[in-house]
Parts: sequence; C-alpha cells; structure tokens
Amino acid sequence: MDAVQTASRQRSKQGYAGSGLTGLVVRITLLGVVAALAVWAVLPLIGARSWIGVGVVAAATALLFWIYLSPNRRLPLKYLIPGTLLLIAFQIVPVLYTLSTSVTNFGDGHRGDKDEAIVSIETASITQVPGSPEYDLAIAADGEDALVFILSDPASGKYWAGNAEGLRDLAPTDVQKGLSGKITEAEGYTILTAAEAAERSQEITDLAVPVDGGGIRANGLSRAFQGTSARAYDEGCDCVRDAVTGQVWTADPGHGYFTDAAGESLPQGWQVSVGADNFTRVITDDKVRGPFLSVLWWNFAFAIISVLVTFVLGLLCAIALHKERLRFKALYRTLMVLPYAMPAFAMLLIWRDMFNQDFGLINTMFGLDVGWFSNPWTARFAVILVQLWLGFPYMFLVSTGALQSIPTETLEAAKIDGATGFQAFRRVTLPLLLVSLTPLLIMSFAFNFNNFNAIQLTTGGGPFEAGNSTVGGTDLLITYTYRLAFGGQGAEYGFAASVSVFIFLIVATVSAIGFRVTRNQEEVYR
Amino acid sequence: MRVKIAGVAVAAALALAVSGCGSDDKKDDGAQGSEPGLVIWADDKRAPVLESFRSQFESELGVTIKVEAVSKDLQANFVTASQGDNAPDVVIGAHDWIGNLVQNGAIDPVQLTDAQKAGFNPDALKAVTYNGQVYGAPYAVENLALIRNTDLAPEAPSSIEDMVADAEKLKKDGKTEELLSLQVGDNGDAYHAYPLYASAGGYLFGQKDNGDYDPADLGVGKPESIEAFEKISELGKKGVLKTSIGSENSIPLFTEGKTAYLVSGPWAVGDIKKAGVNYDITPIPGFEGMGKATPFLGVQSFFVASKGKHKTVAQEFVANYVTGEPLATALYNADPRPPALTASFDKVKATDPDLAKFAEAGAGAPPLPAIPEMSAIWDPFGKAESAIVGGADVTETVEGAATTIGDAIKK
Amino acid sequence: MSAATVSTAPKRRRRPSGGRDWWRHLVLGLAVVFALVPIVFVISAALNPQGTLSSTALIPTGGVSLSNVGDLFANTPFAHWYLNSLIVSGSAAFISVFVSAIAAYAFSRFRFKGRRVGLISLLLIQMFPQFLAIVALFLMFSEVTEYWPGLGFNTLSGLTLVYLGGALGANTWLMKGFFDTVPKELDESAVMDGASHAQVFFRIILPLVTPILAVSGLLAFIGSINEFLIANVFLTQPENKTLAIGLFGLINETNRNANFGIFAVGTLLTAIPTVAVFQLLQRYIVGGLTVGAVKG
Repeated sequence: MDAVQTASRQRSKQGYAGSGLTGLVVRITLLGVVAALAVWAVLPLIGARSWIGVGVVAAATALLFWIYLSPNRRLPLKYLIPGTLLLIAFQIVPVLYTLSTSVTNFGDGHRGDKDEAIVSIETASITQVPGSPEYDLAIAADGEDALVFILSDPASGKYWAGNAEGLRDLAPTDVQKGLSGKITEAEGYTILTAAEAAERSQEITDLAVPVDGGGIRANGLSRAFQGTSARAYDEGCDCVRDAVTGQVWTADPGHGYFTDAAGESLPQGWQVSVGADNFTRVITDDKVRGPFLSVLWWNFAFAIISVLVTFVLGLLCAIALHKERLRFKALYRTLMVLPYAMPAFAMLLIWRDMFNQDFGLINTMFGLDVGWFSNPWTARFAVILVQLWLGFPYMFLVSTGALQSIPTETLEAAKIDGATGFQAFRRVTLPLLLVSLTPLLIMSFAFNFNNFNAIQLTTGGGPFEAGNSTVGGTDLLITYTYRLAFGGQGAEYGFAASVSVFIFLIVATVSAIGFRVTRNQEEVYR
Repeated sequence: MRVKIAGVAVAAALALAVSGCGSDDKKDDGAQGSEPGLVIWADDKRAPVLESFRSQFESELGVTIKVEAVSKDLQANFVTASQGDNAPDVVIGAHDWIGNLVQNGAIDPVQLTDAQKAGFNPDALKAVTYNGQVYGAPYAVENLALIRNTDLAPEAPSSIEDMVADAEKLKKDGKTEELLSLQVGDNGDAYHAYPLYASAGGYLFGQKDNGDYDPADLGVGKPESIEAFEKISELGKKGVLKTSIGSENSIPLFTEGKTAYLVSGPWAVGDIKKAGVNYDITPIPGFEGMGKATPFLGVQSFFVASKGKHKTVAQEFVANYVTGEPLATALYNADPRPPALTASFDKVKATDPDLAKFAEAGAGAPPLPAIPEMSAIWDPFGKAESAIVGGADVTETVEGAATTIGDAIKK
Repeated sequence: MSAATVSTAPKRRRRPSGGRDWWRHLVLGLAVVFALVPIVFVISAALNPQGTLSSTALIPTGGVSLSNVGDLFANTPFAHWYLNSLIVSGSAAFISVFVSAIAAYAFSRFRFKGRRVGLISLLLIQMFPQFLAIVALFLMFSEVTEYWPGLGFNTLSGLTLVYLGGALGANTWLMKGFFDTVPKELDESAVMDGASHAQVFFRIILPLVTPILAVSGLLAFIGSINEFLIANVFLTQPENKTLAIGLFGLINETNRNANFGIFAVGTLLTAIPTVAVFQLLQRYIVGGLTVGAVKG
C-alpha cells in the first residue's frame, strides 16, 4: 500500500516538475511581451519628449519584472498586479482627478486656464474693419517655405503678397487665375494645395498681415478680410480693455472671471481653486442640504429594497430549480435569464412607456387608470418593480452558482440527522450561501445606491411636487446631483465632484459596517 | 540564477522582435493620424445626411473629411473634447448652444461678408448672432405650428377655445380619442409649452434695447406668468393637455388619426406623409382675446470649433461653402427642414408648400434665447408645466420654479 | 454512510417527483411569466409592420412582418455594431475573468499585509459615482490617442481597456467567496506533492471553480455589452460603434417613436449573444462541482 502511494506521489512529482519547465517558458514569454509593450509604448513618448510618461512606463515595467522575477515572498502580488494596474489606470486615476476638481470652480465657463480665456476673448472680438475690402485669397509659400497670403481685390483688380512683415504689390501679369477665378500661380511663390494648407492650419490662423487699422487674416482658404481685435489683454493692469468702447474688465482671480466696474463679467472665464467652498456649500446651502437629507432616506430604501426583493425572488427561483431531474429545467433557466440578457437601458425605456397613464401597456392590460409617475408612492413602487425585473435573474444566477458550491453531502447529512427540507435550508444552506453571497449583496447595494440609469431613464427623478422642481419623489442622490451639476444651471463639475465625495462617504460608511458583519461570518466559516 | 539571466535575455530578444513589428505599426498609425482632414461632429440624425455629401465635399475642398456621429449629449461631449486634445473641426447643432459654447471657448466667430449675410433669412442670422458676433452658419430654421387633420377638421381654428370646442365635438362623436396632441411628458416640455404661455402674456426674459435677451429681467414668477399658467392649468383640467402625451407618442397619435390636432415642427411632416394623413399647417392659435401664440425659432447651424486641428479648412467649409445655395438645397432634399438661405428657400418653396406655411406660423417668432442663463429655465419651467397640467396649484408652482431659476442664474 | 445516501437518493427522488415538485413549477412559472411580459412586448414591437411605439400592443394586432429587420440592416451599420460588441464584450469578459480569478485566488488563499484593506478598497472604489469620472477618462484618452492611436478614441482596444479597469470589481468578490468554499486541504496536499502555487491554481483550483468562472464571465459580458455612457464618448464613427450606443442613437428624442420597431429588433438581436454565451456556459453552471472530487 505504502509503496503504491509513494510511487504515485513520485509520479505526480515528476508531473509537476515537468510542467515547471513549461511554467518557466510561459513566464519568460509573458515578460517578453511586457517588455515589448513597454518599448512600443515608450517610443512615441520619447518622440514627444514626454519624460514623465517615459518614467511612468519604465517604472511600471520595472515593477512587473521585479515582481515576477522575485522569489515566492511577493507571491500575492504576482496574482494581484494585473488587475490592480488596470484598476489604477482606468478607475483610481480618473476618480482622483475628479476629486482634485472638487476644490475648483471647474464647470461651464471655467474649463480652461486663464491664457485660453484671453485667447478666446480676443478672438471673439475680431471684427471686420468697416469699409475695408474683401480679399480673394490663395495660400502660398515663398522660397524659404514661409507662409504668404496672395491677395486680390476683385473690385479694384489689384494683387498683393502679404506676410508677417506687411503687404507687397504684385503685378497683375505675375498672377495666373484658373477658370473659377481662383489664383493658381503667382510668380516667385508656390501655391499650396488645400491639403497642404490644412496641415499648416495653425500657422495660417496665426498670421495677420499688418496693415493700417488692423491685420489681414485668412477666413478659410479662399478669402481674407481686414480685421481688428477690439479687446486686448493688458498685463500691466491684469485686465481686458476694449479699444472701441474703452470699457475695462479686471481679472478676478477668486472667481476666474474678468469683471467690469458694474460687476458684469465677460462670458469666458477660467478655472481657479476655490478651496473648500464647494464643500461648505453642500453643508450650509439650504437649497442643497435640505433635499440632501430628504433624498437620503429614499435612496437607502431604494437600494435596500432593490437588493432584498431581487435576492429573495432570485434565491427562490434558484432553490426551486435546484433539483436534479426537474422537468423543463433548462427551459426555465433560459427563460428566466432573458431579462438580464436584454440591454438594460433599452428595457428601462420600454418599461417607462409601459407605465404611461393613458397609453401604457400596464394600464391597458389590467384596465387601470393609475398615473404611475404622478404620485410619489406609485412611482416608487414602479421603479422597484422595474428593478426587480432587471435584477432577479442576476440574483438567480449567483444564487445558483453558490448553491452548486455547497456539497450535497452536507445537506444529505443534515437530512439524515432528521432535519426537514426547510430546516436544512435555514440551518445549513442559507448560512453557507450567505458566506459567499453577503459581499455580493453589499456590492449590489452599493451599485443600486448609485443606480443612475434606473431612475434617470424611467421617472427622471419625478414626480416633482408643486413649487419644488429641484427634488422629485424618486430622486436618488446621484440623479439629484446630476441635475445639480449638469441639468439646471449648466455644468458645475467641481461642485458635483464635492457632492459626490459626500455620497461616497455615506455609501462607504454603510458598506463598511455591512462588511464588519460579514467578516465575522467569514471568520466563523473558516 | 543562470536560468533567470537566460530568461531576461530571451525576454529582451522577444522585446526587440515584437517592438520591431510594433514600430512598423506605429509608422502606419502615424501616417493615418497626421492625415489632413476635416472632422465634423453631428448627431445621429444629421450625420448620415452629411456623410452622403462627403465625397462631394472632399473633391471640392481638396481635403479628406470624416463625419462622426455622437449619439448622445453632443453639446456636452463637444465642450469636453475642446478641453482635451480631441476636438472636431466643425460641429452641427442648434443655435441656442452658442452662449454656452462661447463661454467655454469652444467656438470661434464666423466672418461672413455683407453679401453672404444678406442671403440669409434675417431671423436666422439674428439667432446665430451673439454679443455682436456671428457664431455659426445657419442652414435650417424650424418652429412649431398647428398641424391638423383636414378630413376631421376642415377649418383652421381661430383660437384655442375654437379648436377645443371642435375637438370636443370630434371626440364626442367618437371620431378621435384625444383633443390635442401637444407633448408635455412627465417632466414637462418648455419648448412646446411656450406658444401657449406667450399667448397668455407670459415671457421668459425681457429684451435689452439692442434686442439681446436680458438675464436680469426674468419673466417667470411675474404676475403675467402666473396668469399664463392659469390658462395652461385650465387646458390641463379639460384634458386638452396631458402629461401622458410626450415626445414618444405625440406625433403617432396624430398619424394614427387618434387626434385631429398636433402641435409640432417640420420634423413631424415626414411621418405624417408616410401615414397618408391629409393635413394642413397653420399658425398655432392663441387664446381668445389674448396675444398671438408665437413659437420659438430654432436655427440649425454649422459651428467652427476653436480647438480644431484644421481651423482654416473649417472656416473655409463653414464660411464659404455651407453658405452656398447648392449645398443648402441639397441638405434640404436629404432632410426637409426649411432652409435658412433665402435663395434656397425660394427654390424649394415651389415644390413644398409646407415650407411657406411653417414660415408663416413662425412669423414674428423670437429666436430661442442663446444666453447661457437660458439653460437654467428649461428644467424648472418644464416641471412646473407638467405639475400644473397634472392639477397642481398654479401660484405656488410658478413661484417655486421662479425661485429655482432665479437662484441658478445668480449662482 | 455517504455511499448509502448516494445510492438511495435517486430512487427516493424519482418516484413522487411530479407531486412534490408542484411548488417549484408554480414559483418558476410565475417568475417566467413576469420575466417574459416586457420581452413579448418587444417582440411584438419588432414584428409590428408600422414600426412605431404607439401602434404596438402586447400581442401583435396589425399583422406581422419582418420589415423592421430589413430596415435595421439597410439603414444602420448594424452588422458592424454587432461584431464590435462581440469583440469588445467577449475579450473584456475573458480577460476580466482571468484577472479577477487570479486576484480572488490571492485574496482567498494567501494571508498578506493589506489583504483586508485591499478587499475593502476594491469595494469602495466601485461606489464612487462613475459618471463624473467620464470627463477624466476623456481627457486621459485624448493624450493616449495622441501617443498611441491604436489604443485611443474610436478603437475597440481602447474601449476594452477601459472596461477592464473594472475587472477587479464585483467579480473578485464573487469569486473569492466561492474559492473560500473549496477546502484548503486540497491545495495543501498538492503543495506537499511538490506543486507550485501557479500549478495549484491552474490545475486544482480552476477546474473546481468553473461554475463561478462561467457566472462571472457571463456577468462581465452582459455588463460591457450594455454599457453606453463611456462607449458614447469613445466611439463616434458610425462603423465603430457598439450595439448599446448604436441603438441608443436610434431612439434619441425626435426619432424615439418612429424607430421603435427597428430599435426593438436591435434590442432582441443584442440579447442573442448573451443568451448564446449563457447556453454555452450553462454546462459549467449546471454541472457544478463534483462532490467526490472536492472531498477526494
């Protein structure tokens, strides 16, 4: 007996050892691919002299090599690092960026920096000099490949070549025109094709041929006009001055606007730091704080009820199906998963139509006349029902998965010990199920807590009470925040970010408490 | 240890091999990336129309063009893209975006010659003018009108009361099921409610001397607005307005003959023709003894993006190409909306009598306000409308909405 | 004792089966009806020759036609969308299952510093309102598009990468819970036999947890095939779009009603790959664990 066992162990040892070589090959290949990817990623960065980018790629690559070439001490890392890297790149970094905007006034009118705002203000104030000619334009390059505007005034029949230094007259004989009247050749210059000109777009935009009372600028590729920029930034007074009206707007670094003496601002502002203003606004502003609390309880109710009803129905179905040789088993399973297979956003829109008071399927089918979305309670019932429909197949699937993992012997043993089916379920199956499913229920809670689509695509947060268009009967914090941030007064991204920090803290706290409960169970099961 | 060194060597060799291939790919990508070309963003409805002209644009402009469709939130995505490095060169959108796009530095003024300006419908040109600058090349003008089923209602109503009386008779006779199809929806629709509101004396913003809207003079919450909403509330009580009629079913109710009257715009005509309903288009009637029910004028325009990579080509396209008659007419043929270019409008007017009728319905209509403050109105105004149609107390609702709007504008 | 149970169990079950399963059929029947009503409505819309929302009833009344199917393929690059969705969701699901399985293995089997913190952080990061992060992703990928156009906007690989950012999320939790139920003695004895950790994972654990891999794979597939907020930002060229975003474009404000029929067809066709994946994985989901193997 012993001999046989030893032999078999030796055999399996050889088996494992043999595959150790495969492991090595696999590992080397994978690291090779990593190195290759790193080289591929780094080349354009070097080309663009983005040394920070190069540093990040090099560090990440070095980290990967270090982890996978080191002994088993860093074993957990080997398993965790691929997912973690993805998580950092595509979730954590964006979230951190979002958090960083919560202390700014980032939003509509405050997106770029001050220089961009100035460029935008100056560009917006360029107007055509009254009475100046409209020029036909051809874009050309001189012998040194510098940009030149070949201009003609159809009214006077004169021709010029203009560059950053100024205008130079051209003899009409030096210029050839095509059939459409376009300038096709000019002595001493090369006319650029549209595609060539397109590539030098920025240069063309920047060129203004200086003439008295303004500059001649390209307007597209075939026309030019003499324009002046009425407003200009003056560094001395940190202000924008309008040359025509004499009006002055002074920079307001606290708010990121140029403001005149009367308190009127230019529309183009820039992003500035506002410190904790956004956070204090959440706490002190009645318009924000009041609804925040009233929405909170429904938000909890929505998330908890959604999880509970979907779980109960899902589990019930899973148990009902958890039997060998049940008739129509495969059919049931396939049909029940269908709601989950349908695209959720599409089905949410369809459910919304089904709840229409006069034309919806539900009222017509049952002969009702319920204004589902005009009363808060029916609206809440409706969204929960939709949640149940969308969510129970998921719970059914995970419960099935978890049920399968419970050794049937455990149950059989309980039954032999005299437990009835229900008792066995309550004392043995359910606790075991909860071990693997509680974290999942918490996840599901967190997901539903922020389930934007479920509300936005159905009730849109409504119904809204008379005189209160900010908070609706089914609003979640997230739909409420969304409107606050993007809906009403234009995008206030920074403020929305600070509200989301509050939401995050609330959900995190609740989930952490839930997690402590799980932890005890987990440790018991171990 | 030796195994490890070997491993590193093999890995390095592999790296070189793969990166060799990689750099080849890179060259191709690079060539593709720097390819001169114009990127146009439009919504899903207009992108295919433009796409059908793409090769024509390309041969006439001499550059390649990419038409891209943003399926959702085009304006917001455009603003975000302008902030990043990925902005398109040309965007097609409604003129009431201009205020927001300008404050975000996303679009540049379009320099039109006096001759070009004279070619446009003056209202359309006024709509795309913001702070004294023209910000877009308009291509279509649209407004709401009353569309009626001439088999059911041969006579155009002279007032809303007149229309409701006829509609009630039709319903009593069992010929229709609904009195009027004017979309409200569960959260209201300020655009469609505005003609009624205006007829009953309400206004959104006062106008400055130069015709610009004045955000300091908010009309919602004024006694006139409460009176106007009282009239809307009456219509709600009579069942003329219903929250169950929204964007998804207002046009079909009409095409299926379930109502004789529809308030909608040129976009509805295609469906109506397809359904074979005999129809006529007239101005939306006002309340008896009250003002005209003027709708808002919406102008679809081409914008030049500030942060585009090929701005000169974009200017060429928008200022010198889109403004020409052939393209305007071609765009009309692909998507029949009243052209903003007078020459093109006159050309297609003969074959399409609906155009003149829509234009008549929109006579004297103010352009949708393009000031950024406008965005503060839509949501509360619509919700107030929906609540009032549903039977809520008028004064309380309107005052609530006024507070919300006022706070949002002050910020 | 165990052997006795196993041998008698089937006999016991076989006889009174029909009588004692009535409650199962009742529960399942009701659940199926509930599940099917909206879907029948969509099917009815898809077959409705008028193709409008308002003319659609639960049971097709105005005749049945397949004209919407033709319209869908004729008027939109639906086939492209379909293929794109299969590529993106398929690869995202496959990679994310692998990535989260190895992470779950580490969380379940090793005790290391930061394990609990890691698990909690994984949960917490999922709770941040993600719609705000879209702006950040946009700015990030503007850079990526510049340096590596192959991974940037309008590429399926870029979108897949972003979806993989959430790979560790819910799935790791689900799998860790499942891994915990696989007795530790199994891998311990394998280690005694000289197996490395990787071998324990690939050769012993993985085969035992196929049900959960299948479930997670299905969930990840469904999650990404339904996603449209990020896809909307990423994919702007008509031919590059995924099903979700393409379909969403069909029913924007003014088209909502008119396109309802083809939208319904698209919705149904979108469900097919998911159902197919489910059928494919059903064997694993159903088969479950072989009890003997676990206890071996």
